[in-house]
Amino acid sequence: MNTNFIPERAIIRTIVHENEQISTFRLELINKNVPFTFLPGQFLMLSVPHCGEAAISISSSPEALPLFDLSIRKAGELTLAIHKIQEGDQVGVRGPFGTPFPIEEFASKNLLFIAGGIGLAPLKSVIDHCLFQSSTKEDAAGSITLLYGSRSPSDIAFRQVIELWKKQGVDCRITVDEKDSSWNGNVGLVTDLLSRCATDSNTRSLVCGPPIMIRFVISQLSAMGCDDTAIFTTLERHMKCGMGLCGHCHLDGKLVCIDGPVFSLSQLKRLDVTEFSR
Amino acid sequence: MIDLKELILEKDNLYPLLRKLMKDARLIAPVENEFGDTLFSVIDDIDTTKIDLTNQPQESLKPFFLPQQETVASYTIDEGEYSFTPPPPALQTIFFGVRSCDLTALLYMDLIFSKPVKDATYYDRRNHSLIITLGCNQPFDNCFCEATGSGPYLEYGYGLQFIDLGDCFYVSAGRSKGADLLKKWSYFFREVEEDDQKRRYQLLLEARGQFTKNIQVAHACRKLQKEPVTEEIWEQLSSRCYDCGGCAYVCPTCTCFSVDDTPIDRNSGLRIRSWDACTSSGFTRMTGGDNPIDRSRHALKRRFLHKLKYDFSSHGKASCTGCGRCVDICFGGVDITTFIDLFTKQETV
Repeated sequence: MNTNFIPERAIIRTIVHENEQISTFRLELINKNVPFTFLPGQFLMLSVPHCGEAAISISSSPEALPLFDLSIRKAGELTLAIHKIQEGDQVGVRGPFGTPFPIEEFASKNLLFIAGGIGLAPLKSVIDHCLFQSSTKEDAAGSITLLYGSRSPSDIAFRQVIELWKKQGVDCRITVDEKDSSWNGNVGLVTDLLSRCATDSNTRSLVCGPPIMIRFVISQLSAMGCDDTAIFTTLERHMKCGMGLCGHCHLDGKLVCIDGPVFSLSQLKRLDVTEFSR
Repeated sequence: MIDLKELILEKDNLYPLLRKLMKDARLIAPVENEFGDTLFSVIDDIDTTKIDLTNQPQESLKPFFLPQQETVASYTIDEGEYSFTPPPPALQTIFFGVRSCDLTALLYMDLIFSKPVKDATYYDRRNHSLIITLGCNQPFDNCFCEATGSGPYLEYGYGLQFIDLGDCFYVSAGRSKGADLLKKWSYFFREVEEDDQKRRYQLLLEARGQFTKNIQVAHACRKLQKEPVTEEIWEQLSSRCYDCGGCAYVCPTCTCFSVDDTPIDRNSGLRIRSWDACTSSGFTRMTGGDNPIDRSRHALKRRFLHKLKYDFSSHGKASCTGCGRCVDICFGGVDITTFIDLFTKQETV
């Protein structure tokens, strides 16, 4: 019997409207006897009725299980369809898949998160996880910094959780490419925020966002003296199976769904990654 | 005591044997159709069907283990309940008249569909199959299996291997299923004599001498481990690729696929797996339109590097089996042999 492509049923418990384009769907498996756990950076194959499957990063941390979040931007057929789904409706999930962030390596390090737009989703899982692991507010205050860029003030997603993180001591700095009358915060690219940050050998940087942002942030981090093994990103690729069979995410001898999606810069430099060569 | 690993089957006994085998399993063998095309076909009535062991089948075994389209699950949405059902199990099948290259390709697919997880549909079909190969005494025009180490005769991997000695077949058992079959139907066979062995050896030598193409596959694989392909070569190949996907479709080792849901009605649908290929522009295009591959330059890069560079480094062998089908089908003339030729002549920097 082929169960490779058969998902587990999940119910949508709550939907958080992050902005016009992005919502966070809080899910729970219907069959509570299915063993299900994951680590930050892993993804699921999400089934939406009649729309097939798409690879989506898990945006919550494992501590929130049995609930888990998928933060989804309206981009194509499936992602548009899920935005029409309501609380209590069912979807399917397979997974988790992929290599997570090396979280053990992050203990007692200063963590610098740099995200653009929906790119905060996979990093949010890491931040939540680290906050859960940090015993005191002071612990987090000294060690976690978030630089978050959005196109405009109305594009800023994850506002609720960012407010929560601030209360928990995370140094959150937000910037927008273009301001409007409501905005009196930073204006400019996320790289402008980065140039006002200091890094040292104890810093681990986690970068996720549009390819062009990743490219500029990574080269800036390198120029600031960060080691290639201390910079991590997570790649987006078209995927059809999530388990190393379909071939879509093949990248220079590696499979992004198995060997990634999380890669260190030192791993990426050995691969022919177009994001960084254009 | 008869050696059950190697026996002789007189040609007059072939159809009677196959008739027996068809009682327990579906038989699939090459048959020439009314248009003159030789294709693997299900044999319903062996007395009215002529199995074609002369021409190369136009398709490999791939469509029987990874069909061009197949249902991997069906789903229903019934009063909000979203549920999936797996497809029916595979049928017991004997493949007869399979060429060495195509069985080699199947052994490669066994690898691909077992790591890191086993593909259930593929292995269900595989576990319900027995492959009887036919060694090639006369390579076809575009064949180069000698250069890929996948023919003209095989040393392993088959259930049974048939070698045509003229008036009889020299039959070797490989896997246990093949040996069991020889044992069960031993009265159709006679023992191998010294003369049969000599003729078999002579035919193999003659077959090896008849290849007209000299493709430097191993040299290309080793060179790819050490040096990059120039952008000029990729661009030259891409400029002649018409994105038809023909090479990947006829290729016995191109196993990439897509999975999509197709609604039947409001409340039900099918999850369909279908062939896909890295030579198609949509293969890597992501939601929103971003595409990490520049097709104008790199339309064929993934395909050739996968077969010759990555598979060579991970399995010690290229995943091209020298069947020559892509050479037949590519109207741009940019098949794998063109690439190997261009790259092996590329001057070492």
